[in-house]
Amino acid sequence: MKKLCAVVLVLMLAAGMVFAAGAREEAAPTIDLQTATWEEIVETAQAQGQVTFYSWYFPDYFREAAADFERQYGIKVNLVIGDQTANFNKVISEKDRPVGTVDAMIVGGQWVKTTMDLDLFYGPIKDIIPDADQLAPSLWIVQEGVLTHGYLAPFHRNQTGILYDPQRVSNPPQTFAELEAWIDANPKLFGFNDPSRGGSGQSFVHTVIKHTTGGLEKYVGDTEVVPEKVANWDLAWEWFNDRKDKLTFTVSNNDSIIRINDGEMAMTFGWDDNVQDMMNRGNIFTRAQMYIPEMGAAGGGDTMGILKNAPNKAAAAVFIAHITSKEQQIKKFEMLGAYPSRIDIPIEGTLLTEEDRENNALAWFPAPYKDYMIAEFVRNVLMTQ
Amino acid sequence: MRVRAEQQKTPLHVLQERRRRRFYLMLTLFFVIVQLIWVGIPILMAVMWSLVDPKNPWSFPNMFPPSFSFAQWEYVFKYTNIARALRTSYSIAPLAVLLSFVLSLPTDYIMGRKKIPGKKIFMLVVLLPIIMPGMVVALFLSRVFANFGLSQSFFGLVLAHTLMGMPYMIRVLTTSFQSIPQDVIDAAENLGATTFVKIKDIFLPMIRPGLLAGMIFAFIVSIEEFNLTFIIGTPTFETIPTILFSFMGYNFIRTNASVVALIMMTPNIIMLFVVERFLKSDYLAASLGKM
Repeated sequence: MKKLCAVVLVLMLAAGMVFAAGAREEAAPTIDLQTATWEEIVETAQAQGQVTFYSWYFPDYFREAAADFERQYGIKVNLVIGDQTANFNKVISEKDRPVGTVDAMIVGGQWVKTTMDLDLFYGPIKDIIPDADQLAPSLWIVQEGVLTHGYLAPFHRNQTGILYDPQRVSNPPQTFAELEAWIDANPKLFGFNDPSRGGSGQSFVHTVIKHTTGGLEKYVGDTEVVPEKVANWDLAWEWFNDRKDKLTFTVSNNDSIIRINDGEMAMTFGWDDNVQDMMNRGNIFTRAQMYIPEMGAAGGGDTMGILKNAPNKAAAAVFIAHITSKEQQIKKFEMLGAYPSRIDIPIEGTLLTEEDRENNALAWFPAPYKDYMIAEFVRNVLMTQ
Repeated sequence: MRVRAEQQKTPLHVLQERRRRRFYLMLTLFFVIVQLIWVGIPILMAVMWSLVDPKNPWSFPNMFPPSFSFAQWEYVFKYTNIARALRTSYSIAPLAVLLSFVLSLPTDYIMGRKKIPGKKIFMLVVLLPIIMPGMVVALFLSRVFANFGLSQSFFGLVLAHTLMGMPYMIRVLTTSFQSIPQDVIDAAENLGATTFVKIKDIFLPMIRPGLLAGMIFAFIVSIEEFNLTFIIGTPTFETIPTILFSFMGYNFIRTNASVVALIMMTPNIIMLFVVERFLKSDYLAASLGKM
């Protein structure tokens, strides 16, 4: 017995050492991306030979894009489709290591402020990526109220709006007063997610603040919360508390969509790319419709960043250039229906009309207000009886 | 009148037997209904959601999917690393179970058989890895693993899974060691049994049911472990939960999550049935080495 235990332990330790030794690889060749030409960057990327990219959605598109990239450049893509929170926890846990394990990743509005505050990303990369000028100019500068200073490359643009079941909602509301009336007449059939758990819920609270506290213009340009400007936000919390028994609170963007599909709700706030993806995969009926109401709804987009301690920065830059290329952006749009980040692609057949986007899309107020909004909503609405 | 007469003719013990049978039948029915609700329905729902046809979704007001297809299964096998993840998961789990058994054995014996001060506090400390939120443990441990060069290594993952399985193994085996009657050990010693004989013929057979239970826990914990694996293992290694979690949580996709859950669940259910057969073995017979 003792012999057996000893043999097993020795074998496992030996195997572990072999595996551990195997994991330590030689340092990849590097280059200063800020001064190198694009040809030099591609050459270095090919010498690096691989790139590790993290996302939490669109596994179908990213697999295809990775295969195209490998064919075109001969660079292997280690693609990890993980969980959003886990992805960011991982890169944050590796932040102080000189060399991490992740090269580049998708950045959503939920985490952009935290990652920028922690100075996680290498950059700016706007002057490195070819065709950078063809990507949504505003998304290079600001993502959901957070200044990103050209560190994060636009991946796609997305927009929140009202998602509804046309079999149950014949005349969807356009103005805030119409929405109030609809909620009063159809208790529990309208819902939105807890804003601390997803952007579509944040967008709805943002719209309510706009209409109950006197518009959004006064916040433009602020870098921190001005107490006088949020003094009347109690009106927004009152609006929610007065209708608490008529509203449905959900736990995530997808949960809201699922509850529409299951018939528990008939109308919600959702992201257009999210709804389209769920539709493509049979998680919501194809009769679902979406629009941006006249009362307004916020939009934005997701971006991609290169980690400061990325082992293969050049390969990461080439991969981001590949994803933002016209060919790949068209492919993504055709596969998923997600709105491209490029501005030189004609768009047809999306859930939201161009007219709605032009007339009713709202810009988020600055990030400090968004953080404040989430914290105060939880305190004043979710945690009260 | 006739019924009463028949009842009067039927002996009392036959009536009691009938009542007992009716009672057992009701208990069995109750058990079956509860199992159907708690186990059967979720599995049935997962199966149905995994077979939803993307072109014809299962939506309100349909009670059942209007049509079935294997598109969701094809999607998971085509666009995720599920095959590689299955291989990794089922390579790590048996090693983690074995290592957690070997490493916990001395502790189990001491805690189960010896009187030491602070035993209760120690038993509580042992549970800390499973009491603390998984991501918190993962974030703290990732630095330790990185410093020892164990990040991105197979052995590091086995160690991480061992760590998460050991609390279960220690709790169950400590109780097993505690339950061994001292009389049996004394009798063996009086008959001249050596330490090796005591281990082989008394301790191991008598802790076997506990060992199997501990192994089941450690195995399932390993198969379902996400946080540590994700932080210290990816991108080099992916296990089944790292794929499952991409379809759950923030980005919950019910159809694909059902497919991965069923893939993860099936081998575990088979293993549980196999182990259950071992557990049915007679405890006393085991202790007397008649198995």
